[in-house]
Amino acid sequence: MNPVNLAVNLGGLVMKNPVTVASGTFGYGDEYNHYFDISRLGAVTVKSLTLKPRAGNAPPRIVETPAGMLNAIGLQNIGLESYLREKAPFLREKNCVIIANIYGYTPDEYGELARRLEAENGADAIEANLSCPNVHDARHTRGGALVAQSPEKVLEYTRAIKSSTTLPVFIKLSPNVADIVEPALAAQQGGADAVSLINTLLGMDIDPETRKPRLGNIVGGLSGPAIRPVAVKMVWDACRALEIPVLGMGGISSAEDALQFLLAGARAVAVGCMSFRRPDTALKVVEGLEAYCMRHGIVDINDLVGAMRL
Amino acid sequence: MTVLLECEITAHQEIAPGHKRLALRAEPIAAAAVPGQFCMLEAHEGLYPFLRRPMSIERIYKDGISILYKVLGLGTHLLAHLPVGAVINVQGPLGNGFPLPQGFNRHILVAGGIGVAPFPGLAEAILQNLARTPEVVLAARNDHMLLLAKEFSRMGCPVHIATDDGSAGMQGFASDALESLAPDSSTLVYCCGPTPMMRAVHEVCVRHDVLCYASLEAEMACGDGVCMGCVVETNSEDEARRMVRVCREGPVFDTRNINWNGGVRP
Repeated sequence: MNPVNLAVNLGGLVMKNPVTVASGTFGYGDEYNHYFDISRLGAVTVKSLTLKPRAGNAPPRIVETPAGMLNAIGLQNIGLESYLREKAPFLREKNCVIIANIYGYTPDEYGELARRLEAENGADAIEANLSCPNVHDARHTRGGALVAQSPEKVLEYTRAIKSSTTLPVFIKLSPNVADIVEPALAAQQGGADAVSLINTLLGMDIDPETRKPRLGNIVGGLSGPAIRPVAVKMVWDACRALEIPVLGMGGISSAEDALQFLLAGARAVAVGCMSFRRPDTALKVVEGLEAYCMRHGIVDINDLVGAMRL
Repeated sequence: MTVLLECEITAHQEIAPGHKRLALRAEPIAAAAVPGQFCMLEAHEGLYPFLRRPMSIERIYKDGISILYKVLGLGTHLLAHLPVGAVINVQGPLGNGFPLPQGFNRHILVAGGIGVAPFPGLAEAILQNLARTPEVVLAARNDHMLLLAKEFSRMGCPVHIATDDGSAGMQGFASDALESLAPDSSTLVYCCGPTPMMRAVHEVCVRHDVLCYASLEAEMACGDGVCMGCVVETNSEDEARRMVRVCREGPVFDTRNINWNGGVRP
């Protein structure tokens, strides 16, 4: 018998442990199932889905940076239809809890995605990506005007999604704001069941030899262990202001990293691009959290949420 | 089956200035691998460099594989200092191997610089599986940077050399050497090297109606089809098929399917 309760309730989504993966770092789950049984995770979060397939940005799309990476993928994905037909059945067969990450160009598109994912059994929760930094041409905008940078728009989009589905709705926010609490409160006001923090930090990298940007898109999103302290602080800020729970992410590479997010107040965590380096990282985090609880006599992992000592 | 494996380094030596051969004990990878596939190597356990390094498999042995690489950046510098007996984490084999279709009279392997890395295994496969002797074009900046000329000669392969400065073989590019070999539609060309070289080889092949497979390289985070970082652009107009992953749909492509003008990294 398992002496430690690892199960959490993330805004109505029951997860057998508080560990999922960050959208875009784990494909649709099937790609990594040969490294470990992906149903061991609390949930699988799939790559952002759009209504129609997207080819994404011109290469190069990846640049390695100190303890992290920049990406400018531009939401290349197979589209909703292919996901429902080719990917969701595998996750269902594996009994995975599915968080479907969605991206739309209008509130209506987000609503349509959420509605169809629920109707066609493609999701157990919706995570709305209001914060992709890579779908705007950097030459003509200053980093792109993200929905998540406007609390008014966050409110509007959240309401539209909530009115389209009965599934739990998580709003994924951008760290590229002066105060994370404002869009987080807007999501809560709009009826979000949780917020996901953080998406990538905007960044760029220039090759001095060629004087050219190293990304085809010029700018991209920074992720990896380099951003972890920023993410932990934003989760802490948001958790103190919110009543709804937080799904924390940003540079988690170990159970110790994940514990920082829980202690800062996150109800659950997502492992991001560390899966690229070690595909079994998320499983190691699950095992490490359980070992930590046993070592510290914690019987319920929920007791660690927000339990930072000041 | 792709695995994550702790592999002991069984040999590690310089084969030309700044170029090394790494041999790894990796039985499960060797058992599954075919020529043209690659592995993702973790050069060290720290977080900088953060990503693994994608590297072609040079040869496949009973109990392991060898890899040729050029010491270029932080990852390969760290790798270059690892002694025999050290253990590194390797993910592989990944990607698709070189197609080995029947019915071609002539096989020409065209390599630019370290692009020769996957060709020894391919040459062996052509000799053994197709009972044909491939010809090899080796192109390099100069005489000192030529890789594996003796190895291919020992395998019985005719070797054609081109150098930028004419210090060995003909003066010119890989594509010039290929042109001088007068390939025709019964010839199968494989190429690997810098993008301008592969584009030029592709153009020679188009002119002579020659089928050409290229092994491409790209910045890559996962190597396993997940990150969507390593794509190249094809000539497909279908939005869902326009971008293909070097790691999953490649690394070997029919060069006619690739958009060589802007669809691959410079």
